[in-house]
Amino acid sequence: MKLDPVLVEIFFHKVTAIAEEMAITLQRTARTTYVKEAGDYGCALAARGGRFFAYPKVLGVSGFLDSDVGPTMKRIPHLEPGDVVLTNHPFESEGLATHMPDLHLIRPIFFEGQIVAYAWDFIHSADIGGGVPSSISPRFSDLYQEGFQIPPVKLVKAGALNEDVLTLYKANCRTPEVNLGDIKAMLAALLVGEKRVLGLIAQHGLETFLDAQDDLVELAGTKALAVQRQIPDGEYVFSDFLDDDFNSKVPVRVRCRMVVKDGHIHLDFASSDPQVLAAYNIPTGGHRHVWLTLKLMHFIYSHDKTVPLNHGLFANVTVNAPRGTIVNPEPGAAVGVRSATAIRLNEALVGAMARAKPGLMPAPSGGIMIPCVLVEQDPASGQRRVMVLQSLVGGTGARMGSDGVDGRDSSLANQRNTPIEKTEEEAEAHIVQYALRPDSGGAGRWRGGTGVIFSVKIARFGSAVLGRGMERFVFRPWGMAGGRPGEKARVVVNAGTPQERELGKLDIFYPEPGDIVTIMTPGGGGYGDPLERPAGEVVRDVEVGYVSAGAAKCEYGVVIAGGRLDAAATEALRARLRAARGPAPDFDFGPERLAWDAVFDDATLNRMNGLLMRLGTNARPLVRRQLFERVVPDLAKVGILPLHEAVGDVAAARLRLENEMAALETMVQAMGGTIGT
Amino acid sequence: MPEARYRIGIDVGGTFTDFVLADLNSATLRFHKEPSVPKDPSASVEAGIAAMLSRHAMQPREVELIVHGTTIGLNAIIQRRGARMAMVVSKGNRDLLELARLRLPSSYDFTEPREVPLVPRDLMFEVSARMRSNGSILVPLDPTEIEALAERLRAEKVEAVAILLLNSYRDASLEVELGTALRARLPGVLVSESGLIWPEVREYERGLVAGLNAYIHPLMTSYFTKLKNRLDGLGVTAPVYITANNGGSLSLETARARPIDTVLSGPASGVVASTRLGQANSQTKLITFDMGGTSADISVCQSGEPEFTTATFVGDFPLIMPVVNVGAIGAGGGSIVWVDKQGLLKIGPLSAGADPGPVCYGRGGTEATITDCYVILGILDPTTFLGGRMQLDTAAATRALDGIAERLGLSGANRAMAAAEAALRVASAKMGTEITKLLATAGVDPREFALVAYGGAGPTQANLLAAEAGLTSVIVPPAPGTFCALGAILADVRRDYIRTIRRLIGPAAGSDDGWADIVAAIEGLEKEARAWVAREGEIVGEHEMLVSFSLRYQGQAYELAVHIAPSLRDGLSAKHVCDLFHAEHERLYGFRDLAVPVETATARLGVVGKVPPVELPQAAPGQPLRQHSRPLWHGGHQISAAVFQRTELGAGALIRGPAIVEQLDTTTFILPGWQARADRLGALHLTREAAA
Repeated sequence: MKLDPVLVEIFFHKVTAIAEEMAITLQRTARTTYVKEAGDYGCALAARGGRFFAYPKVLGVSGFLDSDVGPTMKRIPHLEPGDVVLTNHPFESEGLATHMPDLHLIRPIFFEGQIVAYAWDFIHSADIGGGVPSSISPRFSDLYQEGFQIPPVKLVKAGALNEDVLTLYKANCRTPEVNLGDIKAMLAALLVGEKRVLGLIAQHGLETFLDAQDDLVELAGTKALAVQRQIPDGEYVFSDFLDDDFNSKVPVRVRCRMVVKDGHIHLDFASSDPQVLAAYNIPTGGHRHVWLTLKLMHFIYSHDKTVPLNHGLFANVTVNAPRGTIVNPEPGAAVGVRSATAIRLNEALVGAMARAKPGLMPAPSGGIMIPCVLVEQDPASGQRRVMVLQSLVGGTGARMGSDGVDGRDSSLANQRNTPIEKTEEEAEAHIVQYALRPDSGGAGRWRGGTGVIFSVKIARFGSAVLGRGMERFVFRPWGMAGGRPGEKARVVVNAGTPQERELGKLDIFYPEPGDIVTIMTPGGGGYGDPLERPAGEVVRDVEVGYVSAGAAKCEYGVVIAGGRLDAAATEALRARLRAARGPAPDFDFGPERLAWDAVFDDATLNRMNGLLMRLGTNARPLVRRQLFERVVPDLAKVGILPLHEAVGDVAAARLRLENEMAALETMVQAMGGTIGT
Repeated sequence: MPEARYRIGIDVGGTFTDFVLADLNSATLRFHKEPSVPKDPSASVEAGIAAMLSRHAMQPREVELIVHGTTIGLNAIIQRRGARMAMVVSKGNRDLLELARLRLPSSYDFTEPREVPLVPRDLMFEVSARMRSNGSILVPLDPTEIEALAERLRAEKVEAVAILLLNSYRDASLEVELGTALRARLPGVLVSESGLIWPEVREYERGLVAGLNAYIHPLMTSYFTKLKNRLDGLGVTAPVYITANNGGSLSLETARARPIDTVLSGPASGVVASTRLGQANSQTKLITFDMGGTSADISVCQSGEPEFTTATFVGDFPLIMPVVNVGAIGAGGGSIVWVDKQGLLKIGPLSAGADPGPVCYGRGGTEATITDCYVILGILDPTTFLGGRMQLDTAAATRALDGIAERLGLSGANRAMAAAEAALRVASAKMGTEITKLLATAGVDPREFALVAYGGAGPTQANLLAAEAGLTSVIVPPAPGTFCALGAILADVRRDYIRTIRRLIGPAAGSDDGWADIVAAIEGLEKEARAWVAREGEIVGEHEMLVSFSLRYQGQAYELAVHIAPSLRDGLSAKHVCDLFHAEHERLYGFRDLAVPVETATARLGVVGKVPPVELPQAAPGQPLRQHSRPLWHGGHQISAAVFQRTELGAGALIRGPAIVEQLDTTTFILPGWQARADRLGALHLTREAAA
C-alpha cells in the first residue's frame, strides 16, 4: 500500500460517506416511487479508469458496484469542467445501462485542468416511451420497442443545460415532468459528489487522494482473494433454466463454467443459450459485469464484512460471455427483463460454487420478483387505473447452519412491500390474504424459506391482473447438499371452491367481479438431509405452521401424534426412509428438471448451441424452437402440465433428439459452416 | 420567607441514575448520581431522592414535581424481556409480523438475520372482522369467534393482547368492541387497540405500535406502581411525570396507559436541555452530541427546537409515532479498537460496555478501547476519574495499545501513543462522516452549527470531532453528565395525535374541496386534546395546539409536512395551507404546480401543556486562579496542557488550548488553536482562536 493504514481507513470512511451523501441528496429531492419507495437508484465515485472506488453501503441498489463508466466516457471526445454525460443505451454504454428506463448521468471531476474522478448516478425512471407504459415487457423482441435510445450525449455542457437534448427526451417519454424532477435530483447529487471530492483533495492533496483510491482498491482485492481462496482449485459446471423464452415453452439455459486457481476465478458463460426474441437478454458488452458476478459479491461480502465496496473486490475475477448469447446479445436485442435471466444465471454460479465446496453459499431463493398489477376501470368514465398491488418474492434458500428467511428475499432488489391498507385506499378490490405459504420451503436439515400466498378479491367489471417476471412455474428452486427443492409458483383463481382453476403463468388475466385471484410464490431450496433435522425443530415448524404434519412425516420422517412428537415412531420412520432414499444427492432439482436433463444432457446442449451459433442471430430462435418442440411434442402444454409429464418417455425423446441433432448438423453444414451474423 | 419549592428530574441509566434538583426559590440546580439497581430501578430512585432530601434538608412535601425518564421499556424491547402476549389480526393477516415490510437488513450479506418477530406465529390469531378503507365495516365481529378466541388466549396464559384489524385507522370501533369483549372475559390482561393508540394507515407499523405498547404494558404498569409506593414511603406526594419520546412529559396515568410514548424519551431529554441552553445563548442551530460508554448519539436542531422524525426504530422495530430525531453515529468510550488482517485500524462495533469496561478500569477488560486511548494520551487523569472514585490503570491501557501499535507495524518508544492518537482520528473521521450525512439529509451547512457535547465522554471527544467535521464551535453545559435529567425537568407536557384523512383541498380541487372535513377532523383532535390536557394535572397551565399536515399533489407518491404556526390557527383556510405547501414544495423541488389539487394524507396535532419554567441558574463570574499543567501526547509529540477544575471557571472565564477541564462527571479537552469561554450560565464555548 502507498499510504499508512490509518489514512487508508480514514479515506475509506470519507469516500464512502461522499457516495452516501450523494445518495441522500438524490433520495431527498427525487420525485418518483422508484426512488422514494423502491430505492431503484445508485450513486458512486469512479476512478479515472471508469470503475467505482466509492459506493454507498446501504443506500440505493447494491448490485451495480462493478459498473464501468469508461466505455461511455470514451464516446465523448472533448470533456470540460461542468459537463454531465447522459446515457441509457445498453449497447453504446457497453452494459453500464442494462435496460433503457435506467438513466445514467456522469460528471467528470476536474482538478487543475485534469480529470481526477467521475461522479456517477442512475435512476430507474418512470417511463422511457416504447410499447407499454413504464416501458418494460417481456414480449418486446427488439430494443426499438423498448423506448427512446440515448447514446452517450452531453446533457450539461460546461455547466449549461443542453436544451436540445432535453427537448428531444421530453418528447419521447410518457411522464416527462416527473422524470425531469428526478433528473434534477440526479444533477444535484453529482454536484455534491464533485464538491466533496474537491474538498477532500484540498484537505489531503491530489496525490494522497489518488493513492488512497489505489490502496482501497488493492485492499478490496486482497480481502476478496482471501475469501475466494476458500474455493478449491478446479473446474465446476452448473446450469439453470428460465421457464421459457416467452414466444414458446422452450426453456432457456444459462450455463456457468467456473475455473478456480488459487482464488482466481474465471467464469465462462459460453454454451449458454443464444439470445432470444424477448426482453430476457443481458447486455454485458462481454465485459466482467455486474449481472454476471452478483452472487460472487454476496459471497465475498458475507465472508468478510470489512471489505471496502469498490471494483477491487472483483480484481481476481475474469469472465467469458460470447457475443450472440443471452449473456452478451448483439446490439438491438431487447433487454428490459434482463433481471429474470440474471437471477437464473447467478443461481447457476451458486451451483458451480456448491459443486466446488458445499456450504459456501445458500441454496437458491424463490428466485422471482413479481410486481402484481391490478387494472381497474371506472364504470362511468371508463378511465383505467393501474396499481401495483404487491411486490411478490419467494423465500430465501437455506444454508449451512441456518434456515432460509420466510417470504422475503434480499438477494436482488430488497424492496419494501406495499401495505394492504395503502392498496385498499387506491383499489376497490380487497386483499383477502397476504401470508406465508406452508410447505413451500424446501425440506432440509436447514429448511428453505417459504414463499407467500397473495389473494385479491376483484370488485369491478373490466378488471385485469398482470404479473411480469413470473418464473419457477416449471423448474423448482433446487435443494442443496441433500436438501429438497422449494415448491413451484402457482396462480389460481377461486382456490378452494368448485370454480377453482389453475391459471399457470400469468401474462394478463381478466377476472370477473367476486373472483379471487391467488398468486403463490416459490419457496427457497433446502440445505442438507431433512432426515437430519432435529425432530424438535420440525415439531416447532408444525406448531407455528410453516410445515404441515403431513409434510413433517413424508419429507422429514417426523411423526406427530396428538400435537406431540412420537419419538419412537419418528426414529423408525427415519430409519426406513434413510434406507429407501439412499445417499442424499448433492442437488435435488425435482422431477421436472430431472426429466429434462435426462433428455437434454449437458454435452448435447453444448453441441446444439455450438451449431446454432453458426446460424445468423435471427435464424437461431425458430430453428431452436422447432427442434425442441419436435423432441417434446407436448412442450406447448407445459405450464399447466408439469414438464416431466410433457417429456413423457425419456428413451423415446432421446431418440427424437438424436435425429433432430443430426438434422441440425446437416443443415448447418449445408449452409457452409459459419454464417455471418 | 416563602415556602421552599423543589422539582426533581431523574434519568435512569445502565450504570448510574442521575438526579437534578431544582430549587425554585433560590434558582439553583444541584446534581446527584446514584448507582443504578438494574433489577429494581425504583430502588435507586428512592435512594437518590432520600439522599437529596437529607443532604439539602428538604421536607418531602416541598417537592412539587418529579419528572422521570426511564429506559425500562426500551431495554425490555431490545433484550426481548417483555410480556407474553398475543396479537389479534383480521383474517388473511396472520403473517403480518413475519412478512413485516419485506426488507432484510443487508443486501450484500446473506448471513445477517431478519428480526425475530415481536409475537411468534402461534400467538397470532385471526378473526373475520375488518373495516373497509372508507371506514365502514366489511365484516362485523362474530360472537362465537370472540368466545373461541378468549378461550385460546386464556389457555395460552397471555398477559397482554394487541389488536390490529384492517383499516381500523379510519375508525377504531371494531377494535374497541373486540377489546372490550376481551377485557371482560380476561380480567388482568392488558389490551391495546391499534386505532386508539395511533390511527395511522399502514397495518404493519400501526400493528407494531399496538404490539410494542402491549409488550411493555405489564412491566411498565408494575414499575410505576412500585415507584409510586416507594415515593409514598418517603412521604413525597408530588405528582410524577414520565418523559416522552416527543421531548415532552406525561402524567403517570397517561404513561401507564400508553407506555409506548415513553420508550425513546432518554435521548429526547438531552435534546430538550440542549435547545434550552441554545436559547439562552441565542444559538438556534445546534447539533447535540451525547457520547457515553457504548454509543454516541446526535440530533440536529435547525431552529432552536427539537426536531421530530416519524421513521425511527425501537430495537429491531420501526416506530411511526413522532419522536425527537436522534441518530446513533457509532463509537462510545467503551468501543473496542482493533486491527484487521490487512493491517487497518478499526473502531467498534463491539464494545467493552460497562462490564468489563475498558482495559484501564482493571475489571478484566483486555481489548483496548477509546477510553484507554484518552488515558494513555493524558487527556484523562487516571487519579481523578469520577472524582477519584476509580483509579485507572494506565500501564495496562498502554500495554493493550502497544499491541495495537505492533499490529499496525508502528515502532519506537511512543508507538502506543501513536496508535491511540490514530484510533481517535479514525473515530472522529467516522463520526464526522455521519454528521455530514445527517446534515445532508436535512440539506444544511455544518459551519453554521454549534456542537452541544454531553454524556460522560461527549466533552472529551467533542473538540476532536468538531475540528474533523468542520464545525466552528462546541458548547459544553455546566453538568454534562446529568444533562438528560436536567432535560426532564425542563419539559412541558406534550402528546401527539393523528388522523389519516385523504381529501382534496384548495382552489384547484374545485367542487371536490374537502376542507370542511379537514376542519372537522382537526376540531375533533383539538377536542380530544383539550380534554386530555385538562386531566394531566394542576401543574399544567396554558396549552398550545400545534397543527400540521402531510400533503402532496394529487397523484404524487410522497408527502411533505406543513406546520401551521399557532397564531395562524384561527381562520385557517384551505388556500392558506395550500400556499404553505406550494412554498415548501418549491423550496425542496424547485417548482410549484398550481393546476393540480393538493391532497391531504394525515392531519396531526401536538398539544403542549405549559409547565411553569425552571430558570437555568446564572454562574458567578470568575477567572481561574491557579493553573497547573500535565504532559499530553498530541499531533505526534508531547506537549504541555493547562489543567483546570470546572468549578473554578466562572462566567466570563477564558482559557486557551491545549487545555484540560476536569469535573466530577466528565473531562473536557480543548485542542491547541482553540479557546474556551464560559458564558453567564457557566457553559463553556469552544471556538477556534482565529475566529474568536
